[in-house]
Amino acid sequence: MMDQLDILKEKWNTQDKEYPRVSADHIKKMLAQKSTSIVKWLLIIAIIEFTVMSSINFLYSFLGSPDEFTRELMDSNFMKISWAIHIIAIIYFIYLFYKNYKNISATQPTRSLMKNIIKTRKTMKWYIWYNIIGGFISGMVTTIYMLNNHPLINELMESGKMEGHETMFYVLTFLILTVIYIIFLGFIYLIYMLIYGILLKRLKNNYEELKRMEV
Amino acid sequence: MSQQLEAEFIKQLEENQNIVHKICRLYTNDQDAHNDLFQEVTIQLWKAYPKFRGDAKFSTWMYRVALNTAITLYRKSTRRVKTTDYENVQFKITDLQEDDETAEQLTLLYGAVKQLNDIEKALVFLYLEDKNYKEISETLGISEVNARVKMNRVKTKLTNIINP
Repeated sequence: MMDQLDILKEKWNTQDKEYPRVSADHIKKMLAQKSTSIVKWLLIIAIIEFTVMSSINFLYSFLGSPDEFTRELMDSNFMKISWAIHIIAIIYFIYLFYKNYKNISATQPTRSLMKNIIKTRKTMKWYIWYNIIGGFISGMVTTIYMLNNHPLINELMESGKMEGHETMFYVLTFLILTVIYIIFLGFIYLIYMLIYGILLKRLKNNYEELKRMEV
Repeated sequence: MSQQLEAEFIKQLEENQNIVHKICRLYTNDQDAHNDLFQEVTIQLWKAYPKFRGDAKFSTWMYRVALNTAITLYRKSTRRVKTTDYENVQFKITDLQEDDETAEQLTLLYGAVKQLNDIEKALVFLYLEDKNYKEISETLGISEVNARVKMNRVKTKLTNIINP
């Protein structure tokens, strides 16, 4: 018996004639349109991530009128060094993203194309992790510094109200701040998982399918 | 120069547009989505065109870009309500000499192909376009042996869809 698919193959090209033809004029108009591909979306999201993440940091530093204490904190070596590291890191991530992004081309074999897109997305994943872990570390250091040096806390400690409960106070404040911080960062992480999940679900499935074929 | 390039590109695409239409029909379920995908393929082809050196046939080069767009790059519009336009799923034949039975069989077969996943569709499409396994494996980026093995599995799957 003849192969099922070969029956279709025999007649496959008879369908050529009945497609509505797109005119040269129409094609010319299409060339002026913008792409809506997932790669385009990946670029847009990356630009938003780079902008939002760095502006959160800047806003945090400049918000409100800094009191004596905040100014002192900003002037500390720890802050200066972490700012320098942060700026180098951002430049490095932008470079990495750009390099991977440039490697994406529609003329690649399907599997390479998918691989390159996933690689580009991973750069952004590392960028998010860098922000979350970096934010956590600098948040903790700042908290410890504040607990030890902030004038309000010093005043409270000296007032005698906390007598006998000093350690408890420090531990509790520290724990509460940590929990708030983790919830906040977890929330940011979830948003990203959701955005990329929606955008790349189909690609991931197809990539898995191709990979399965290679086993 | 760029105007000449554009004119050249438009002419080539206009002549070979059936390849794109066939892919669009396979990967979409209604006319709007078909047009949408056609446009995205056109944009991707045009973006890649300056690097097209003419060492391959334009049509051969097109298969890769068009399939990549359909499988990977194209983002389905989520706003659209998903309706399966039966008219579009059908395999249309213009050859009026076909008897009803053959026509029905073809419709059934085409409907089965449409139920395959994205990668399987690509394999079947290239097979129907009479590409050999070397070309199929190069387009998808898998080995020739695996392309063959997978093709046999897809054939079995199609038979199972048609005769459950």
